[in-house]
This record gives sequence, structure tokens and C-alpha cells, in this order.
Amino acid sequence: MSDGATAGAGTTDVDVEALIENADGTDSLFEYRPGSSVLHRLNPVTKLVASGALILIAFLLPTFWGPLALTVGLFVLVATAGAGVARSVGTVLVAVGGPLALSLVLVQGLFYPQNETVLVSLAVPVIDRLAFYEEGIEFALLILFRLTVLMIALLGAIVTTHPKKLTVALMEKGVSNKIAYVFMAALQFIPQMQTRAKSILDAQQARGLDTSANLTSRVKSYVALMAPLLIGTLIATETRALALESRGFTRKGERTYLLDVADTGLDRAIRWLAGLALIAVIVWRLVL
Amino acid sequence: MTHITFEDVTWGYRTGEGRAVSNLDLEIESGSFVGITGPSDAGKSTFCRLIPGYVPHYFDGELEGSVRVGDRAVREASIGELAERVGMLFENPFDQLTGASTTVIEEVAFGLENLGLAREEIVERSVGSLRQVGIEELIDRNPQRLSGGQSQRVALASVLAMAPDVLVLDEPTSQLDPHGAEAVFEIVAGMKEQGYTVIVVSQRLDRLAPHLDRLLVMEDGEIAHDGAPEEVFTTPGIDAVVDVPQSVRIGRRLREVGHETDGAPLTVPAAIEELRPHVSDTSAGRADGGVTVPSSPEGREADGDPRVAFEEVAHVYEGGVEALSGVSLDMASGCVCLVGQNGAGKTTFVKHMNGLLEPSRGVVRVDGIETTDARVAQLARHVGLSFQNPDDQLFHDSVEAEVRYGPKNLKFDEERADETVERAIERLDLTDARDRNPYDLGMPRRKRVAVASVLAMDTETVVLDEPTGGQDAPGTALLGDAIEELVAEGKLVVVITHDVGFARRHADRVIALGQGEVLLDGNPREVFGNPETLAETDVDPPVVTRIGHELGLPTVLSIDELFEYVE
Repeated sequence: MSDGATAGAGTTDVDVEALIENADGTDSLFEYRPGSSVLHRLNPVTKLVASGALILIAFLLPTFWGPLALTVGLFVLVATAGAGVARSVGTVLVAVGGPLALSLVLVQGLFYPQNETVLVSLAVPVIDRLAFYEEGIEFALLILFRLTVLMIALLGAIVTTHPKKLTVALMEKGVSNKIAYVFMAALQFIPQMQTRAKSILDAQQARGLDTSANLTSRVKSYVALMAPLLIGTLIATETRALALESRGFTRKGERTYLLDVADTGLDRAIRWLAGLALIAVIVWRLVL
Repeated sequence: MTHITFEDVTWGYRTGEGRAVSNLDLEIESGSFVGITGPSDAGKSTFCRLIPGYVPHYFDGELEGSVRVGDRAVREASIGELAERVGMLFENPFDQLTGASTTVIEEVAFGLENLGLAREEIVERSVGSLRQVGIEELIDRNPQRLSGGQSQRVALASVLAMAPDVLVLDEPTSQLDPHGAEAVFEIVAGMKEQGYTVIVVSQRLDRLAPHLDRLLVMEDGEIAHDGAPEEVFTTPGIDAVVDVPQSVRIGRRLREVGHETDGAPLTVPAAIEELRPHVSDTSAGRADGGVTVPSSPEGREADGDPRVAFEEVAHVYEGGVEALSGVSLDMASGCVCLVGQNGAGKTTFVKHMNGLLEPSRGVVRVDGIETTDARVAQLARHVGLSFQNPDDQLFHDSVEAEVRYGPKNLKFDEERADETVERAIERLDLTDARDRNPYDLGMPRRKRVAVASVLAMDTETVVLDEPTGGQDAPGTALLGDAIEELVAEGKLVVVITHDVGFARRHADRVIALGQGEVLLDGNPREVFGNPETLAETDVDPPVVTRIGHELGLPTVLSIDELFEYVE
């Protein structure tokens, strides 16, 4: 701190982007995974538009083959974006997609109302035979692959996009800074609440609140926790408004951003392509 | 540069009773460094809020008179406009975070983005102000996961990045240990050198006074004293409202005993210079080396079974940080002060005493019970623990309900609860606030409510984490008296404190922790007689002790003791 008084500082060679992107996170599955793939470098808005279009297309396509192809293609694309990204997406796919696939195939394969053609028939004790129908299985796969497209597209966009970059990109496209702020603050809100809840619980136990005695006192303890948590949040909200105001948050006029979020020719091309593809599918399904 | 003018300013908050400040009529020269001190609720924060326009633009109330910052009338300019000229650091640094940043650099850059500066300039100014407050290494950390002291510096960097001409700092060191506080005051004094106008509210005059051009003392919303610090400190009766620095008290005493001196030495070196010619040779007349100086209540600690026993206790947090490594000690009664720098393991240590933390290795026993065998709620009958931040501990809408919460949980019968609640409220001088909402009280009084709510549990062991932080002189004295009374009843009182002056006055035993280990453990004279070891954990002995050491005297603990060596 001895050089504390030497203000201003000369030119800096700090790579802010790398710094922010590689900062430690909370390791949740839905959190940003740093990387430098094409997917990472795309403009966040492009990723949102493209994944939105792909999801709509998947839901418009009539048979499961289309969504299947999209699922495979998307997964390959996401997997090339780095091990961290692949792990996040893969984990969610297995954890959610697995049970989903099983239940869809069972329920629809056996009980889909339009079931006619028997695909397999299994000999089962007690109830004699169990028949899986082609129509039901196809319907199950259609639903399943639509949902996997949804999962991969959204998750792929989320884990390859730093939230700060997303807000900058949105503001550059005309979204108000208040909405962008609410988005960022919401992301930070839950860990903040957890920390505070822990402190309050500690203080209450230290003053004799028994949280592990029986159900009634446990319920009571949660009620007792909510009050200070809410009061604290309200007070924080009030002072936060002042904190924001004092940093020119409500100031009118041009804003700039700490990060430069590129919007390249490739981005524009992808957004056009996604839009055109969506229109083409809509026309095909509704008009032809 | 910017000149600040108050013309007959009076303000009352719509929600509050009466006027917060009245008849403020003064000018603050551009480029001056002004300190503000005075009792809690004297209007110091309101004074600060008037400069960046939070009053009247953000808070509701009636403003009479006018405040001008440079050529701008605060009444006419918006907070955003004033922010380019006036930067204010809030009392609680957590309140100043935007809550929308994933890293410290985003936090610091937030205001600059709103000003619409070029990217390169944003980066340069953000990094520059982080460097200025000495926290460049925190640049990629998450602002929500910093310690109080770190947040305070991030908040300061965020304010400096906006490049205001005027800096207003409301208790900028409330979350810092003394070395951290000194570092902040040095940065701020450096800002003055660069032409900033600086206004600082603080109770820590020992560290602040040497830097000041001018000191204002506020009482009941008015400016009671205004002048150079030396003048203010020599005003008769000032001791009742202001915690006058030890070095000044020594200078005054020197004059009282009949020596001609320059007046009020603001720094330790100045006090030493004034004393040096009058100090007798240590061997002369005091061959015993000061060991038998009759003074502080040392040796009061009783023998007998320890109430609290630590055996080889280590604690490793999730993530591998070892906060305690092999601590063994017993505590029976009396006042035990824990000292040590931020992060030394003091809070981790006391959280083991009521089972909130369990040892990773070793055993903690409280009144013979192993803490791992009992629930926290059961241990609460034995150990009452009050935390540093009162806002995590207050959850009722009146002070009385708050204080009654502990006794109710412990199922005291009506009569006993009434009695302990009453006594706790009286002890902490909260009688006139008993029906008020704790959140309507100022931070120092809220802290006293948190202490009262622990005292009401009438436990044999009481633990207080930084009870004197942010308290004014009367508040600190009140807490000291309360602790003395508890000790007189035979209780064990463990106090975490950065205030070595407080430890000097009240401790029977001082334990210095550093890096999770016990560095020193003994009576205050033994511990404060070891400045080299204390330095390992960034603790300085009390000012009077330091002055004694500098003059080659044995360890003295009070001005009376020091003056036994003065001719």
C-alpha cells in the first residue's frame, strides 16, 4: 500500500475480457464455462436467436427424424466447444433426458391412443403379453428429441455466454439498462441470499433456537428465518437504489461498456439463416 | 477545484422525529481535509448526505437553507450530476455494491459505463483506482464473496474511479483492523495532496487526527466545535463527547504537571518528543522495573475448573483453508480479549465455543460438555454469542421483543425472563428505545441491541465479537462498564476486539491469534510487552504502551503509570 498515493496509474495492459471470463464461479451446471471456440465468440444475441429458431423448428417438424438430426448436430457442435461445456450439457442430458426417454417410451409405446402396429411383443408373466406399438414409440421419440433440442440449444447458449457479455449485447441491441441490471442482479441474488440465510440461522441458534428438535420447531425456525431475510432484502433494495443512482445509473445519454462484444458478418449471416430457415419451415408446415 | 458552502441548513427526515441537523452554516475550503466526529445520532451521516445530494433528493424531508458544491446548488442538481463531482463512501460497504457484478473490475467500472467513457479509459481508470487502494489482486474476485475490509476497499475504488473532486467518507474503516484503517487514512491523506477536498466521519481519531486540517464535532445536529484538531482537543469538557487521542491526553497531562509544552501532540512521535526531556532514567527510583505497578485488574482470573477448554483444536473450512491449527487453552472467568489481524481466526475460534463450528481435529468442552455431543441450541444455555454484524441477528419489530427472544427459546419462566430482559436493556442504556424497531436505530445502537439480546440469556459465558466497532466514546464506556459488571458476577466474558485501548482497560487476559495459532496468551502487561510478536498479526500495543517502550520504559498500561516515570 505504500504506493497508494500515486494515483491515476499509467497505461494498463490488463486483458479485462479474459479476466472476467476466467473468474471463479460457483460450479453450478448452468454457469458459464470459459473457452475460445467459435460458439464462445459468437455474439450472445446470435446464440439466442439461433437457439430460439432451432427450438421452434424442432417443434414444427412433424416426425422425429428432423429433431433427431438437430439433436445430433447440436450436440456435436456443443461438444466441440470445450470439455467443460460438453460436461455441463452432457450431464443435464443424461440426468433429465434419460428418465424422460424411459417414461415417454413406456407410456406412449404402451398407451398412445393411435397405437395400431405392434413393434415388439414381450412375453411377461402374470399379464401374459406386453405390446409396444410403432406409432407410440415414434410419438415418444418426437417429443423426446424436441425436448433434447430445447435443452442442448438453450444450455449450449447459456454455458458458452458470460452473463456480462449477454447484457452488453442486449443493451447494444436496444434493451434498457434497467432490464439488463435486473437480469444480472437476479443471477447474483440466490448465492447472496444463501450466505445471509446462513448467518441469520447461526445467530438464531446461538440464541437458543432449536432447529433439529421436532417438526413444529423446525417449521417455526423457518418462519423465524424468513422475517429477517425479507427485512434485510428490503433494506438492501432501498440502499441499492441509492448506490446505483450515485453511480449515474439513471443518467441519460450514451453508455459504453467495459467489454467489447463483437457483432461480425458471421453473426449476421447466422441470424439471417436462422430466420429464413424458420420461415421456410413455417411456410412448409402451414401453407404447403 | 470545489468549494462547499452550507448556508443555514436545517433538515428533518420525514420518518424521523425532529431535526437531524440544524443551523449548519459553514464553508469547506477546496483542497482541505476535514474530519467529523461526535456522538452517535448527532447528525454526522446526514451532514455527509447533504453534499452529494442524497438529502434532499433521495431521502424525504424538509430542507431549509442551501448547500452549494462549487457553483452548483445541491437542491437543483440531480444525484447523478453531483456524482461526477462528489464521491461518497457509505457506512456499510455491502450497501454500496451494485449486486450485478460477477467480478470486482465490473463493479468498479459500473459507474464509468454509465458516464459513457471510451472502453480503454474505463479499463485504465478502473485498474488505476484498484491500484490506488492496493487491491489490484482482487480484480477477478466475486464482490459478493469478499470480507468486510475487502468490500470497503472495493467500494472506495468504485468511488475513486468516478474521479470526483470531493470525497465524502462515512466511517470508512468500520470493517477494518487498525492496520487496514491506517492504510485507508493514508490513501485518503494522499488524495488531499492531489487536490481533492476530503471529508471523513470517524470515531478513530488516534489515526485520523494527524492528517486533518480541521475537525468538526457534531452534537444534537449542530456543529459544537470547529477548528484545528489541536484546538478542539484542548477545549475544556471535550472528553465527554470525543475519544481524544492518547498522544493528546499525554501532552495535556504534561502541561498539568507543570511542564511547558507545545500543546497537543497529534502523533505518537510528537508525544514522545515532548515527553523525552522529562522522563527519568528507568533505573532511578524504580529499580523494580515496573512489575509491581498497582493498576489494571490483572490476576482477577479465578482458578478452578475451566468453563471452556480447547484441546488441540484445528478447523479446516470447505475448500481447504485452515483457520485454526492446533489451539489448546482453558478459560475460566474474567474478561478475555482476543486480538489479531483480519483473518487470524478469531471468529472461527469463538464459533467453536457454542458449537456453530465443530473442530476438524481436537476437542472443545464447555462446562464439561463436548460441543460435538450437544446441539447449538443446548449449548446456548451455557454460552451466549453476539456476532459482529447486528443486522444478521435482529428479527423482531421492537427492541424488547428482540431481547426477549433468547430467554423465550431457553424457556425461562416469566419472572426470570422479565428480570434478565430488564437488566440487559438497562445495562446497554436502551430503556428509551425499548418499543422502537431496532432497524430505526443507528448502527451503533443496533449493535447494543444485539449485545443486550445475548446478555438477557444470562449465560455463564458471554462472547462478544467486536462490540465497540463504530461506538462513540460514551458507547464504548457503556460496553466497558457492562463487561466489568458481568465479570464481577463471576462470568467469563470473551471479547474479540481491534481496539487495544479497550483491551488495555478491561482485559484480565489477552490472547493474540495469528494465522490460526495462539501467538501470545497472558495478562495485558505480558502480551502488550511483546510488540515484535504482536507485529506478526498486525497488532500494535496501546499508544501509551508504545510511547513507554519508545522511551525505554518497562511496559506501562495507562497514562498514570507512564507519568510515574515523568519528573
